[in-house]
Order: sequence, then C-alpha cells, then structure tokens
Amino acid sequence: MKTSRLVLTGALVALVLGGFVALFASSSPDGLESVMLEGCRTDAEGEISGGECTLQQAAEHEIGGPLADYGIASVGSETLGGSLAGIIGVLLVLGLATGLFRLLARGRGARTESGGE
Amino acid sequence: MSEHALHIPNGIIGIPTSLVFALIAAAAVGVCVAVARRGPDERFVPLAGLATAFVFAAQMLNFPVAAGVSGHLVGGALAAALLGPWLGVLCVTVVVAVQALLFADGGVTALGLNVVNMAVIATFAAYGVIALTLRLLPRTRTVLTVAVVAASVVSVLAAAAGFVLQFAIGGEAPGQSLGEVAGAILSVHVLIGVGEGAITAAAVVAVALARPDLVYALKGTRIAGAPHAKETV
Repeated sequence: MKTSRLVLTGALVALVLGGFVALFASSSPDGLESVMLEGCRTDAEGEISGGECTLQQAAEHEIGGPLADYGIASVGSETLGGSLAGIIGVLLVLGLATGLFRLLARGRGARTESGGE
Repeated sequence: MSEHALHIPNGIIGIPTSLVFALIAAAAVGVCVAVARRGPDERFVPLAGLATAFVFAAQMLNFPVAAGVSGHLVGGALAAALLGPWLGVLCVTVVVAVQALLFADGGVTALGLNVVNMAVIATFAAYGVIALTLRLLPRTRTVLTVAVVAASVVSVLAAAAGFVLQFAIGGEAPGQSLGEVAGAILSVHVLIGVGEGAITAAAVVAVALARPDLVYALKGTRIAGAPHAKETV
C-alpha cells in the first residue's frame, strides 16, 4: 500500500472516530476521575453534589477556549458541536504533528545533506 | 467537572511539584527531539503525523470498564510500536499539549505532570515490553498482538503509577490514604490497559500487514505469515 493511501485511510478512520464514534463514548468518569471522586456524591449530570473528595480541589482551567471539553459552545446542538470539535481536533493535530515531524526530519536532512538520501 | 475532563486538572497536585515535573517533561522532550533528529528519515513523517491524529481521536473514545467508570486510550503503546520510543514520546506530547491548550483537557499548570505520565513513562514502558517480546519470540502476527497488548497494560499501569508518585509528593486526598488511592487507581487501570491493548493491537497489526517497513518495532522485517506487501513509497 502506498504511504499516501495508508495515511488517507488512517486519517479517514481517525475522523470517523473523533467526529462520530466519540459521540457514543461512555460519559462515565474515567479511571483517574473516578478515583478522585471517591467520597463525593454526583448528580445525574455528573456534577459533585455532596461529600468530600480530591476532585473538589480541582481549579478552573486556565484557558478554557472555544473548544473546551470537546464541544463548541456557540453551536446550539451539543451533538453537532461535539462532532465538529472532534473533526477540527483531528485535522488540527494531523496538520500540526505532520508539520512538526517534517521540521524534525528536515533538521536532520540539513546536517546530512552531503551524505545524500 | 465536565464529563470530558480526562487528564490531571489544575489544583490536584501542588504548584511546586507541577513545576518540577514541567521541567522534567521539558528535559525529556528535549532529549527525544535531539535523539529523534539523528534517527528517523523522511519516510516516517506521514505515519508519525497520522499516529498522532489517531491517538488524539482514540483518546476521545471512553469505553466502560466497570459500573460508572470509563477508560480511554493513552496512546503510548501505539506510538512506541509504530514510531519507536523517541518519536513516540513526541507524538503523545503533541496530543497532550493540544488537549491542554485548546480543549481544556488537563490543566496547563498540570501539563508537565500529564506529559511525564502519558507521553514519557507510558511510551518508554510500552517500548520496553514490545522490544523485549520481539527479541525473545518469533515475529508472527500472534506474537506482535500479544506484545502490543502486554505493552498497553504495562504502559497504562506505569502512567498511573506516575500519577500516584506525583500525588504522593504534591497531592492530598481527604479521607483516603495514599495506599487506597494507589490501589484504586492501579486496579482500574489494569482494565483500561486491556481495552487499550485491543484497540492498539488492531491498529498496529493493520499497519504491520499493510506496510511492515513503517512499523518501527519490527525493525525492517515483516511479520511471518503476512502477504508480501508492496513496499512502494
């Protein structure tokens, strides 16, 4: 399989995972969060409603931002916002990571230029 | 807290501890950049970019592991198998940094803590298990699968142990001893590691069948029994 085809296939899989499958992901607290919630009660929304636990020490996120918590607040529908946030995230990470790794490989190439490929 | 806040948030681990781990993370990432610059050739760039996007997407997929508890992939095992330890650390670091800076997932103050656990510890632990297994056993599809699943479990446990260490230094649990925190977090992460192993093995075997030359852990060999893949670049 050509590299371009492999990457295209993989990118499509990642987009489907982030933009669609993620909508069906479990909304229960994850392993770390559940342990930090030990001692607290939570309501139906998952917010802490009483008790005493480690997670109460958690401070607000410094930045927040328009994509905070994998949603887009300005998009009315939570489903659509979540899906778009996932798709934006996958494309952004794909572009950013590919760019950074290319810079890394180029830095190497510059030093071994005389050696050829 | 939101249902999507997955990594260590701010305020759980004290600021001095967080800053020390930020320095450790920066040093580790610096070493990985330096070593990776000597290692990879351009052929790995597209796959490295793709693996990073895949880890980001897969981290959004929380799967249930017990009543009311979910888990998600860390990605260290995937990155280690496909890219090797040095590029692998950088791959997961990009994911964790984007999550903290753009998706409010994991505090910015806590970024060093999360990078050390999920990128540095998880990737190196996974690579150790994979490299050792593939050195001792023949490179078949089954062995590759077993190696990746074992690496996933070990790497997720190692990342969780990293959190326990950070928590022991700079955290405080009301009404819980450190031993209780450690026991709870390690036991739930065994299950998360098994889930991560299933996802990671599927992804790594798929790439190994299509393009064994791009799987770092195979070191240029193909897995036994696989059809001869065309190695066109």
